[in-house]
Amino acid sequence: MFRNIVLKTLYDRRRSLLFWCIGFILMGAILLAFFPVIRDAPFISEYLESFPEEFLALFAGEVTDYTSPEGYLNGELFFLMYPLLLLVFAVGFGSGAIAGEEEKGTLDLLLSNPLNRWRVVLEKYIGMIICTLILIIVFWATLAIGGAIIDMGLNLARLAAVCFSGFLLAIAFGSVALTIGCARGKTGVAMGVGGALGVYAYMLNALAPLIGWLEPFQVASPFYYYIEANPLSNGLDPVHAGVLIGLSIVFLVIAIVTFERRDLAV
Amino acid sequence: MTENNIVIHIEGLTKLYGKQRGVLDIDLDIARGEVFGYLGPNGVGKTTTIRTLLHFLFPTRGRATIFGLDIAQHSLETRRRIGYLPGELETYNNLTGSELLEFMSHLRGGVDWQYVRELAGRFDYDLDMKIKSLSHGNRQKVGLIQAFMNKPELLILDEPTIGLDPLMQQEFYRIVDEIKSEGRTVFLSSHIMPEVERVCDRVGIIREGRLIAVEDVDVLKARAIRRLEIHFESPVSPEEFSNISGVRDVEVHENRLTCTVAGEIDTLIKAAAQHHVTNVISHEPSMEEIFLTYYNREGDNVS
Repeated sequence: MFRNIVLKTLYDRRRSLLFWCIGFILMGAILLAFFPVIRDAPFISEYLESFPEEFLALFAGEVTDYTSPEGYLNGELFFLMYPLLLLVFAVGFGSGAIAGEEEKGTLDLLLSNPLNRWRVVLEKYIGMIICTLILIIVFWATLAIGGAIIDMGLNLARLAAVCFSGFLLAIAFGSVALTIGCARGKTGVAMGVGGALGVYAYMLNALAPLIGWLEPFQVASPFYYYIEANPLSNGLDPVHAGVLIGLSIVFLVIAIVTFERRDLAV
Repeated sequence: MTENNIVIHIEGLTKLYGKQRGVLDIDLDIARGEVFGYLGPNGVGKTTTIRTLLHFLFPTRGRATIFGLDIAQHSLETRRRIGYLPGELETYNNLTGSELLEFMSHLRGGVDWQYVRELAGRFDYDLDMKIKSLSHGNRQKVGLIQAFMNKPELLILDEPTIGLDPLMQQEFYRIVDEIKSEGRTVFLSSHIMPEVERVCDRVGIIREGRLIAVEDVDVLKARAIRRLEIHFESPVSPEEFSNISGVRDVEVHENRLTCTVAGEIDTLIKAAAQHHVTNVISHEPSMEEIFLTYYNREGDNVS
């Protein structure tokens, strides 16, 4: 369990990860439990259509056929709830990865060992990736099993695609938080900035289609690359996924370079 | 000191922070097998010097080598050969002592567990307790064990005895003696003069970021000012003592004598022994008194 920093990171996070998994399982189960009601009540769609388009766009994206499994899951889950919660998880992880140890004062002890600083960052990063993957796999399994129970007829590969797309988005913002933590050594700053950027990116993506002058900027939001191609219906778009992966790599590199070059706080 | 006998070589090392004081123009050589004490009050740059040697801080000016290797270019290799105890140690509170040591040993490619258990035994340290539940002194012990356990060629210990009870301090001194006898090198910082006297060969005194003196401990002892208080069964006269060389500030109240002694106390003690002595109290010199010794000396040189 303590063979390397990756394993120790998993050990440190085991309880927190367990509770996150329970939270995601409950969230999936509750949403699925409501679906049969929605499916059998076609007036819901008409009711939703009575809302202003702007209002719906902010919380559920482009709502098309709310009573279909894909429409329901996209609108209720994958547009807002799932990516934001996952983002909170990854940003929390990334911001504390280096800055947390620095603030607690344990970084001196860790780095007194013959370890390159880049290796410490990289191992923590791998820890973040593994934990986030575990969380989305658990969530995918919850939806797959629950969906089968209520006969949703979901395409499990497409379901995996949208879950994974959310994972890529979360890691991108986790990387931003990691970078700020590596550069400034303050968990709070990293979490605040990372979280705020996530919310802005979400709003940009959600509102841009409705506001003329904002529309060209939609492609600047990582959320666009997460959901615009509708992975739940169409599978993963390799270009969009590539953008998110590229973003993560760029920030990881910046994190390592800044961390290698600065004094460590006591 | 011959060239290849030098373990730590510091040359014009300067570290400036924004407003905080750092260290200024430190020059220092420490030889193999030496126990060197880095002495000064808290917050004068001891930790800054040490953390620069471990490559946690990058110097503003100057350079340093450890085992002849530049600390900036060969940080990994130097750290591999150093056992380090951070000042104001913080460890992973969610682990037990043995889990922490297991983690640390993996990062260094293994450790002799027999020796770890021996160290834990000598420090009376329970390896199975969660570090969170330990007292400050016991946390310090696990820090010492992890520094010692790889039998490194060089130990860099920042305020190693803080929080240890006197018995454990003695055990620590014994271990340092053993390390010295094995020809390994110890660089330790302290703000306590007696500790440095007990365990070190040489001492560097740091004040306000500057290394103001590097001396053999014997020389320092000889120069140190001590405040003595001697109680007699019957009253004594001050004249008997005030003429003894090195003795100053003699005051006598009835049968109680107080004075300061620079260096040797032998003559004073022998003079006192002419009477019936009931008690002798020796106040160890404070850091400030040691500094005053040096400032007085500098003053003497000028006049």
